[in-house]
Amino acid sequence: MYTILICDDDRDIVSALDIYLTSEGYQTVKAYDGQEAIRAAETHEVHLILMDIMMPELDGIRATARLREGSNVPIILLTAKSEDTDKILGLNIGADDYITKPFNPLEVIARVKSQLRRYTALGGAEKGPGLITAGPISMDDGAKVVTVDGEPISLTPIEYNILKLLLSHPGQVFSSTQIYEQVWNDPAYGSENTVAVHIRHLREKIEINPAEPRYLKVVWGLGYKIEKGA
Amino acid sequence: MKKLQCSAAAKICAVLVLLAAAFGAGVFGVRALVSSVSITRSSWQDSSRFYSAIDERRQGLVEGIELSQTLEELEKQIAEGAANPLAYADAEALREEKARVEEQFSRQNTWFRFRLLTDDGQTLLGTNLKDDEAISRTVKEMHYFSFELWEGSVNYDPETGDLGLSPSDANPEGETAPSMKLVLEYGVPEKVDDSIQDEFSQIWRLWDMDRASFDQYLTGFLNLGALTLLALIWILWTAGHKSGAEEIVLTWQERIFFDVYAVVMIAGIAWLAFGTVWAAEQLYWGQSYAVRGEDFDTFFNLGVTGAGALFAAGVGCAVLLLRTLAVRVKARCLGKTTLLCRVAAWMAGTIHDFVRFLPFTWKIVLGFGAYVIVTFFLIMGGVYNGAFMFMYLCLQLALVLFLSWWAYGYYRLRQGTKTIARGDLEYQIDTRHMPYDLRLQAEDLNNISVGLAGAVDEKMKSERFKAELITNVSHDLKTPLTSIINYVNLLKSTQQTDPKAIDYIEVLDRKSQRLKKLTEDLVEASKASTGVLSVTREKIGMGQLIDQATAEWEEKLSDRRLTLVTTLPEGETWVYADGRHLWRVIDNLLSNCAKYAMEGTRIYLDLERGKGQVALSVKNISRDPLNVPAERLMERFVRGEESRSTEGSGLGLSIARSLTELQGGAFDLAVDGDLFKAIVTLPQAN
Repeated sequence: MYTILICDDDRDIVSALDIYLTSEGYQTVKAYDGQEAIRAAETHEVHLILMDIMMPELDGIRATARLREGSNVPIILLTAKSEDTDKILGLNIGADDYITKPFNPLEVIARVKSQLRRYTALGGAEKGPGLITAGPISMDDGAKVVTVDGEPISLTPIEYNILKLLLSHPGQVFSSTQIYEQVWNDPAYGSENTVAVHIRHLREKIEINPAEPRYLKVVWGLGYKIEKGA
Repeated sequence: MKKLQCSAAAKICAVLVLLAAAFGAGVFGVRALVSSVSITRSSWQDSSRFYSAIDERRQGLVEGIELSQTLEELEKQIAEGAANPLAYADAEALREEKARVEEQFSRQNTWFRFRLLTDDGQTLLGTNLKDDEAISRTVKEMHYFSFELWEGSVNYDPETGDLGLSPSDANPEGETAPSMKLVLEYGVPEKVDDSIQDEFSQIWRLWDMDRASFDQYLTGFLNLGALTLLALIWILWTAGHKSGAEEIVLTWQERIFFDVYAVVMIAGIAWLAFGTVWAAEQLYWGQSYAVRGEDFDTFFNLGVTGAGALFAAGVGCAVLLLRTLAVRVKARCLGKTTLLCRVAAWMAGTIHDFVRFLPFTWKIVLGFGAYVIVTFFLIMGGVYNGAFMFMYLCLQLALVLFLSWWAYGYYRLRQGTKTIARGDLEYQIDTRHMPYDLRLQAEDLNNISVGLAGAVDEKMKSERFKAELITNVSHDLKTPLTSIINYVNLLKSTQQTDPKAIDYIEVLDRKSQRLKKLTEDLVEASKASTGVLSVTREKIGMGQLIDQATAEWEEKLSDRRLTLVTTLPEGETWVYADGRHLWRVIDNLLSNCAKYAMEGTRIYLDLERGKGQVALSVKNISRDPLNVPAERLMERFVRGEESRSTEGSGLGLSIARSLTELQGGAFDLAVDGDLFKAIVTLPQAN
């Protein structure tokens, strides 16, 4: 039983999230501004915090910074601001993830689950030979098993090989041609457009919201990469 | 100092001192003037006064001679016994008269010396010289006077008792009576004294006195004149100052036009000066008559006083004039209160305005005409010497300078215009020392640039404000939208007994999703069109991008039975663009196709290279007739069909165009019947 702190100045949003999370079997604590959130986090044993950015008294960014001083509890920011700078600022200040408003409740639940799994995984799998990880993704090359936040996912051999190539070079951008040549072991003669389709499928399996990928990113016009340190 | 300047008592004192001193100076001046006549002549005989006296003497003598001639004739007639009894009485009277003249001209009574000779100089008829005296040595200057006496022509009219010498033509016989030609030599000795009291001794004495007292008079005049001047300086220094007033105080005098006042005053002064000189002259001449008048001194003193008063009055007038001049100069209103200056200023202003507001063409025509006329007269009337050449050179030089001035003004205007045209709207052309017509132009340009800069600023501000407003509004929309989406989702998970409710919830869900998309697009469109988005351009592979885009859209398109036909040139095509923004452009175009293309048709995606440009065209067949021109389609909130029943915000093309332009590309639309074609042109990267 995990306790989740929901903090937003819009009470309807808080109660909607409360309904969803409660129905998923989580306990919730509600707060309506940054100060309240900090107090609630001190008085309750909280396992995850959903925090709005634009709030009176103390905004989400400052509250996150304050909370991070003494706790490493996962924080997901809820933001109406779609500017990239807000997301980057939020992540830099210590938030673990963000969801842009208006959000889909299913995505919230998925992200909450993902963060909780990572937070509560005791040490994770042993880092043996052939185990490649990046963020929540880990690939056991020996067993040919890929897990995201500990959940195994099923991949086709080509998807597996593409993921392996990208995972073993985090941060490096591979163009479709490069991926094709390395995965298919064939010179690419205009058949590399299939790579894009494979990667889209792969993204749908790994990412919670494939339209807004966190780990397997599309570098438009150049290729694909696995986010370094994600 | 200031106090002294304002003191009324000091002023009155100064005026009194001035008038008194001027009066004194006048008196001394007149005296000096009168005596100056004596001082300028080396001899007392060299004066008009003397001449007039000696002429009078001579006349008296000649009359006496004629008288004795008449007497002789009469006595002769009496002796002949032809005389009428009355003649005795007449003769007696004539005898008395002759005795009186003789008395007058006797040596004991006058300094006048004379000799009467026949005109051949042989016979001495009469003299008052001693026997051993030579007239030429006795007198200072010898005068001659020759005249004729008619012999035997004395007519005695018994009726009237008139006596007279009649001209010969009166002789009834027609005989010419013999005339006697006589010469009178006369003069006055240089040295005279009071031993004989006559007019000559008087003239000499006056001359002598004048000579002795002239220095005295002159000294007196100069000293008092200096005092007058001092008082005048004081008056001028204090003029216009008044205790209790910071400013220069103007009086009634300053209300009169200065030149009018000056003319009246100068006329008055001139009149008074002439009066003084006239008085002096009268006094001078009066002295010669003083011999006869008994109470000359009183007359002279009165005259001198009068002349002094006239002089003082003249000085007073001059002081009034100078004082108002000083006040006007101090108050800096001399020009304003001078009629001539006013008239001149008015005329100058009128001419200036006339020339200034003359149409430019007329200025050139008139200016050139004037130049031609001046040159013509210079050449026609010119004596071809150095002075002419110099004048001609000066004229040409002036012309060159004038033209250079104009040309430089034009150059500055041109530079300024160029700068403004280049986009520096803050630039202001320096209009100092510019020809009037150019300055007008420059000022107008400056005004335009100021107005334009303001307008551009205003536009930028309003665009920013709009973008900010849209962003804020969308943020505010997003929060309630989040609740709507969430509760619609919650509704969906609840058990609905009415099957209609499930449909309704479905509509709510769809519309809330659309609203979400709309707000997102709105923010993006405003950001893209106002250019607040950051653009990081780098080398992008178009082939790669099209592959990625195709992968993203292929499924959705095939769901709508749309086939994507991609034509790529050989090898990778590199462009210089921002990958994320370019993706959004293609994403929007393909999303458009998905929304508006007719089902079962093909979508052509062609990439072409050439001339340093890369063109990506997306062609599709519209499902609905496109009754909107291509340009309109790119405007915000415009969609192919007007009913707006389909999904989509109408912002896609607008965003695509803004984003393409942000990256330095061009976005074109073409509509040909139902064929819709979008072309994105970007600079090729090597």
